[in-house]
This record gives sequence, structure tokens and C-alpha cells, in this order.
Amino acid sequence: MTDRNEILRYLGFRGKPADERTLQAIESCLAELEQAVTPRSMHRVFPVTFSGGAVAIGGFAVESADLAKHLSGCGEAALFAATLGARADFLLERAAKADMSRAVVMQACAAALTESVCDEFQQEIAEEAAKRGLYLRPRYSPGYGDFPIRYQRDFLKILECRKIGLSMTENCMLVPTKSVTAVIGLTKEKTSCHIAKCMECRSADCPFRKE
Amino acid sequence: MRILEDLGKRLLFFDGGMGTLLQENGLGPGELPELWNLSRPEIIFDIHSRYRRAGADILKTNTFGANAIKLHGSGRSAEEIIFAAVEIAKKAADGALVAMDIGPTGKLLKPLGDLAFEDAVSVFSEAAEVGKKAGADIILIETMSDTYECKAAVLAAKQTGLPVFATMVADEQGKLLTGGDLPAAVALLEGLKVDALGLNCGFGPEQMKRLVPQLLDCCSLPVILNPNAGLPRSEGGKTIFDVNPQDFSAAMEEIARDGAWILGGCCGTTPDYIAALVKRCAKIPPKPLQKKNRTVVSSFAKAMAFGEKPVLIGERINPTGKPKLKQALRGGDMDYLLREGITQQQKGAHILDVNVGLPEIDEPSLLPRAVSEIQSVVDLPLQIDTSDPRAMEAAMRIYNGKPLINSVNGKKESMEAVFPLVKKYGGAVIALTLDENGIPETAQGRYKIAEKIVKTAAEYGIEKKDILVDTLAMTISAGQENAAVTLEALRMVREKLGVFTSLGVSNISFGLPHREHINAVFFTMALQNGLDAAIVNPNSDEMMNAYFAYCALSGKDEKCMAYITRYSEQKAAAPASVQGEITLSEAVAGGLKESARAAANSLLKTTEPLEIINTELIPALDRVGRDFEQGVLFLPQLLMSAEAAKTAFEEIRASMGQEASRSKKEKIILATVKGDIHDIGKNIVKVLLENYGYDVIDLGKDVPPETVVGAAQKDGVKLVGLSALMTTTVANMADTIRLLREKLPACRVMVGGAVLTPEYAKQIGADFYGKDAMASVHYAQELFKAN
Repeated sequence: MTDRNEILRYLGFRGKPADERTLQAIESCLAELEQAVTPRSMHRVFPVTFSGGAVAIGGFAVESADLAKHLSGCGEAALFAATLGARADFLLERAAKADMSRAVVMQACAAALTESVCDEFQQEIAEEAAKRGLYLRPRYSPGYGDFPIRYQRDFLKILECRKIGLSMTENCMLVPTKSVTAVIGLTKEKTSCHIAKCMECRSADCPFRKE
Repeated sequence: MRILEDLGKRLLFFDGGMGTLLQENGLGPGELPELWNLSRPEIIFDIHSRYRRAGADILKTNTFGANAIKLHGSGRSAEEIIFAAVEIAKKAADGALVAMDIGPTGKLLKPLGDLAFEDAVSVFSEAAEVGKKAGADIILIETMSDTYECKAAVLAAKQTGLPVFATMVADEQGKLLTGGDLPAAVALLEGLKVDALGLNCGFGPEQMKRLVPQLLDCCSLPVILNPNAGLPRSEGGKTIFDVNPQDFSAAMEEIARDGAWILGGCCGTTPDYIAALVKRCAKIPPKPLQKKNRTVVSSFAKAMAFGEKPVLIGERINPTGKPKLKQALRGGDMDYLLREGITQQQKGAHILDVNVGLPEIDEPSLLPRAVSEIQSVVDLPLQIDTSDPRAMEAAMRIYNGKPLINSVNGKKESMEAVFPLVKKYGGAVIALTLDENGIPETAQGRYKIAEKIVKTAAEYGIEKKDILVDTLAMTISAGQENAAVTLEALRMVREKLGVFTSLGVSNISFGLPHREHINAVFFTMALQNGLDAAIVNPNSDEMMNAYFAYCALSGKDEKCMAYITRYSEQKAAAPASVQGEITLSEAVAGGLKESARAAANSLLKTTEPLEIINTELIPALDRVGRDFEQGVLFLPQLLMSAEAAKTAFEEIRASMGQEASRSKKEKIILATVKGDIHDIGKNIVKVLLENYGYDVIDLGKDVPPETVVGAAQKDGVKLVGLSALMTTTVANMADTIRLLREKLPACRVMVGGAVLTPEYAKQIGADFYGKDAMASVHYAQELFKAN
């Protein structure tokens, strides 16, 4: 279930009640998206090894102290990718040309839908992990903290993301745009299951930051 | 090529997977398999030889990713790798054919990604040419999940003159990753004249088997199927496939009996699978190909067949008689044209005509641009409408699908220009029944020309099914027999010549008052006489009513469902659309587009346009903007108001006439910087700036610094707005500002985007940081007031 409050937060409502037409637009955009898109995902689990400020997930070596910290205590991690696919970008582009007010709502809905789709796909990893007594850390993506987005290149290659139609531009931006790549740590610690992403982020004055 | 001559006489067999076997030999995850052609040739040779011994007729070279893009940074060139790969395969071939294997670039093409269509063609051309030089017998384009990239590869491969096979990867519903369906992909590939087509990868033979009927149902060419050894799953970091050679060959036998001609394997299959397959299927006689005599055009998403139901071709994207569109085209304003496209689709058009021909316009560059941009927001097939063969070719080349072409006629010159293009790029073409002697006055005369066109097309290898004849509606105000002649010719063409028909319906009423009455009745008469497609205005209720009523009456609307859906909804919606008389400022405040339009029009009867703008519109926008800034209103509401104001502006501007509306508006350039493809923030700013009367030059996204500077120089622009979303692209923003400072020191720069802060903006040299869309409006107002 896509989180309506999350959509309103993306639209800048900051907890204030939304008007009827915005609420209607949200339902209509979500319906249009859900009917049109075919979300897809990939994941592979690898052992994690640490060396200094660097961490390696299988053969995927990353220089990032923040990612290393995030994965501390994890013996394994999943490389995970998901995308709403090309159709979502088509609908966003079309809304932007036809009506910008719908376009911003569509954008927020697509972003929230991407998150909920990731949560659903991630269930599969959680179930596999649970069989082995392991729990999931939150998704940690290239671009968070000091985990540079240039790692998208290797990430996409190792996961063979072309199979789900996920690619990137010269500047390491994911295309289709409504896509996520993330490292998900697997750990025996039960309590570590949720760290709010905003708390980890350094953009303290981000307008979308959760209070 | 002995084996290709066998095609159709016996089943042919491809080899199986390469990657799985290389992994068994130690290929690491992320390592490029193609490099092994140079470093471990003996292993590649051994794999080819094993496949040959298993009975494969065609060996795929180990060149799936051997293109300049994927090899970038590997230290090796595509050329040396392909040469080595083809040589190894030829050495192992022992009478088998060698197929130069071409996989996708791994990048998404524009407009979704950042790879330009012609750049993709160049990358594939390099690979195909080297493959040919090295001695490959066939080019196999495989695992294509995007019809557009596949088209680029096929165009490149066809240049070599070698036979071209193409296989796509679909999901279990038969959809490609980019959303297209199988009939659309088949229409495109058949149009490009590949020699065989089909599916590979994605899943195992069981799942593929379920798609075979769908594929054979629309395909007239030999079909290739190269499935995986079942579905992959990850086990301890290794990929395992769940179908064994016996089950694989059993499912493939059914596929062969259904009618596929060329069978093999993809991921997870090994020589054991191919041996089992050959053993089980070699004796099965290929099922004869069935020519599908269907007239089909397609977009990237879906195919559209003629003959089932009359097809409506939207006529609104054509500047003839449309001053607003003319003005938009001259000013390079694509948005207007795109909105016309979206509206026509919403109104029920099945195909959109695209004509941008104006005397002072460079059509060969504008038409392909229009076609490409329309395809980024409309998924209907397009009708490329031009009399300039260069514009036609440019548009056909970049079109993602099989287009409808408007038009060819019976003149030798026209046929010599158009038919080679249809042959090369594929398409269905509208044939006008006129020639060097003009338009015949009799039905018989027009029929003769249609016959000549069909015959000449056949000489080019263009089948009758790809021609739709237009028997030319001529205005009845110039001759009262005109309608009768057109309809008689239409009937003859349809019955005696056996081709589908199309008409530009509205010509019939030229010069008469209330043309839509005549148009609608003539349209109905033409439908009754067998009209298959009509170029109409989908915004005209009278035409659409005639269409829906005709379909219901002629049994072409099952249980009248289309009719009922359309008209019961309309009735229910009626009260909501009558929002009563409210003032323009109320309409803007409430974000009500239609009310704003109505209010603007009623004000225009009594008030000067400029006065409406200054005393009604701008103050209303100011109030909304203030409420937004104070947190009373939020972004969606602000933009609803902006859209309502925009509608009112359009009405007001139309009433001001061209000169007044173009005069003296301050120009502002907006661009999302190079490398950045997230442009929603820029688009929001654009709507608001336009509301406040600025002439926004929108350069789009991923815009290089030189383009920004060039555009600013050209129009003497004093304010440039730049957006960037990512930290990585803020560097490109800084570069753009630096170049602007150097070339145009007087030009001001405002910036915005998620990762920017006032400090950061200052650091990269911007004059102003806009924290939201209203902030940029205030800055522009201040700047231009001061000037």
C-alpha cells in the first residue's frame, strides 16, 4: 500500500491537511500509475568484508565509511535494485506537458510508489534471510552519505540490471528515473531493523526532511 | 550459404548459452566475457566446437557486449575483439553458419536515457561492419528489450547486406521492458525487412511456448526462439536454472510443431540441451509460413490494424489554417504541439497526423524533432505528413515504430521519392489518386491511378497491404458531383483493388458555412461506402458523434459498449462542467481551467486585454503566490491556479493578435544542466514565469553549457535560470555559469534544485538562489524593474 502521507510530504504539505482536489489528484495519479507500470527488481546476496574505511559486498568493493558503518555487524548483504520501468517516465513526461499541477502530484506518487514497491520486493529477501535467522538493515543507496553515486556503474553490472530494463546515464543517474539501487545488510541483530534515513542524511536543511 | 537455403525445408538450430559456460570456467561477476576471445580463445573455441558437435547449425559469436559503449575502459577495442571472436567461431564452425552476435548497448536511448538514436546506430554499425569483414554469415541482434534500440541495430546491420535476424526479450505477458507489445515489435521489424525474428532469454521454454501463438498470429517471417533453461534463481551466490535438457527439448518440440523454424537456447543452456533439442526435433517438418495480409502501423507501445473498425486520424497537428500552431512552430514552441497531441488522444484519436510544413521552416530538421517529442508523450502511431522527401526520410528514420506515411501519389516523381523510403524504413503509405494530369473527374480515372500506384509499389517490393488509397474529397461547393465521385471511387478501390481506404474528410465542405454539418454526414456516407480511415478533428463533437453512432449501427461496437461508455459518462459529467458564472480571479484562485477560459472570454467582450491582465489576472496570481509562501496553499494548488491562469492567458493573447502578443516580452532562458535528467523543478518555474508574462525559452534537460550560452547570445537574454538535482551535476552548473560569465558578463543567473543552498549557489557564482518557484518570479520582477 502506497503511503499517502509520504506523497503529501513530497508535495510540501508538512503535515498540514490537504485540499480535496489534491487528494483526488493523488488517487487518480496512483491509479493511472498502478495500472500502467510493471515494477521489476533484482537482488543477489554476497558475503561482506571490511578493511579500514572500505567495505566489499562480494566483488563489489566500495570506499565509503558511511556504508561500512551502516553494514557493521553484517556478515552478508544483498545488492538490490528495483524500477517502475519506462512507462512511469512516459506518464511523468506526458503530465508535465499537459498540466504541471498533475505533473507534480504524479511525480510525488511515483516516488512513493517506488518506495512501496521496493518494500514489497524486499520481502523476498527478508523471508530468505529469516530462514537463516537473519534480519534486514534499511536500504542504503549510492548517493547517501559518502557512498558516491559513481558506484552505480559496477552495481548495475554485477546485478545485471539490464534484465529489468534499468540503466544509467553518463552521470550515473538511474534511468528509468523511478528506480532504486541499494545495499541491504543482513544481520543477526534483531533490533537494528529500522533507522530513519533522514536521520542519517547530512542535508539538515532539506525541505523534505522528516521531523 | 547452404544452411540458409535449408530454411523452411528443415528446422534450423542455434547453439545455446555462452555466459554460463564461461562462468564454469572461472569468469567472475562483472567481468567482460568478450575479453576472453583474446585472453582465453581456446575455451571459446572449445565451447563452439561442443555446440557444433551437439548439432547446432548456427553458432553465435562471443560478442554480445562487444560494442564501443560496453567496452569503454576495458582497454580493448570492439574491432579486435570481434575479429578474434568471428575467427574462433569460423574455425569451430565445420560447415555451420557463424552469426555475428549483437546485444544491447546497456544504455537507454533518448528521450528516456541519454544515448542519441544516431549514436546507437554508429555503435552498432561499427560492430556489424567488423563482423562482416571478419567473415560472419549472419547478423543476429538479440536480447533487445527496447524496440527503438533494436531499430538502431537493425538499420546498422542491414547496411552490411548480410541476412539479419532479430530477437527480443519479453515478459510473460508478452511485453517488452519498455512497455511495447509483440505485435508492435513485429510490425517494426517486418517493416525494416529483417530475415527472421523472434524471442530469446527472459524465461524458459514453457513460458515462451505460451507467447508463441501471439507471435505467430502477427508474424509473416520465420520465427526464432532461444529460451533460457528455465527461470534463474540464486543459490549461494550462483545462478541456477530449473529446467533440464529433456524437459527443455520436450517443450521446444511443441514450439516447433506450433510453427517456429529456428530453435536454440540462451542463458543456462549448454551443449547437452542443444543435443537433446536436435535429437528430438530435427525430423519435424517446418510448418509452412502464413502470410498475414494485415495492414498494420505501430507506435513503440502498440500496433494498430486497419479493417476491424474505422480508424480516426487526428488532423490537429497541421499548421494550415491554424494561426496559433503557426506561431508556435515559428517560435520553436513544441509544448503547444505536444498538448494538441495529448488532447487528441484523450478525445479518441487512434493515429495522429504530424505536419509541420511552413514556407519559412526547415522541415527536414523540425519534422523529426516533432515526431520524436510527440512520441515522448503520446503512445499512438503517427502519420508522417510531408511533401518534402528529405523531411520524410529524417522522420521515418527516427520514428519508433512502423509509421503511416502521408503521402504518395500517382506522379512518377512522387513514387520514385517515397517508395524507396517505405522499402527501407517500413511503413504503410497513403496513396492519393492524382498524377501528372491532375485529379481525374471520374471514379474510373481515380481507380486507374490507384491501380498504377499499387502496381508500381509492388516493383519496389511493397505489398498491397501497406497501401491505403485516398480517393480525394473535393469540395461540393465547386461541383455538386464531387461527393458522389469520391465515394464511387472509394467503393471501387475497396472492392476491385482490395486495398484499404482513407479520406481527408473535411475538404468536402470547403467554402461552405457550418462545415461540420456537411463533414459529419459525408463522413457517415463514406463509412457506409467502406471507408477504413479518416483524417478528422477529434475535438469536433459532430464528427465523433457520427463515428460512435456509425460503429454502433454497423455492428462494429460490441453490445454498443463504446457508445454507452462515451455518452453515459458525458451526461453524468455535465453538471460538474457547468460551474456557473464566477469571476476570473475566483477561477484562478480555485484553479478552475474551464471557468477561467469562460470568464476570460466574457471579460474580453467588455474589457481591454491588457487591462484584464493587469487588474484581474496578475493580482489573482499574486494572491495565490502569497498564500503559497505563507503556507496557506501548497504546490499542487499553486500550480492548479497557474494552469487556470495559463488557459485565460491563451484566450486573451489570441484576442490580442499576433503582433501585440509577441511584442516586448522579457526573455528568460531555463535549462536543466548537462548530465541532469530530472527537470520537474525547472518545469514548475517555467509555468509561473510564463504566468507573469515572461517569454520563457525552455532548453530542456541535459543541456550543455555551450547551448545555454549560444541561446542567450542569440536572443540577447538577460536572465538565465539553471536547475540541477544531484551533487554530481552541480559541477556542470558551475561550468555553465563560468562560461556565461566569460561570454556574457551582463547576463544574470538564478539557480535552484534539491541539493543547492544559498551558500552553495554563491560559491558556484550564481546571482540568485531560488528556494521555490515563487522566489524566481520575484527575482525576475525585481531584475527587470531595475533595468
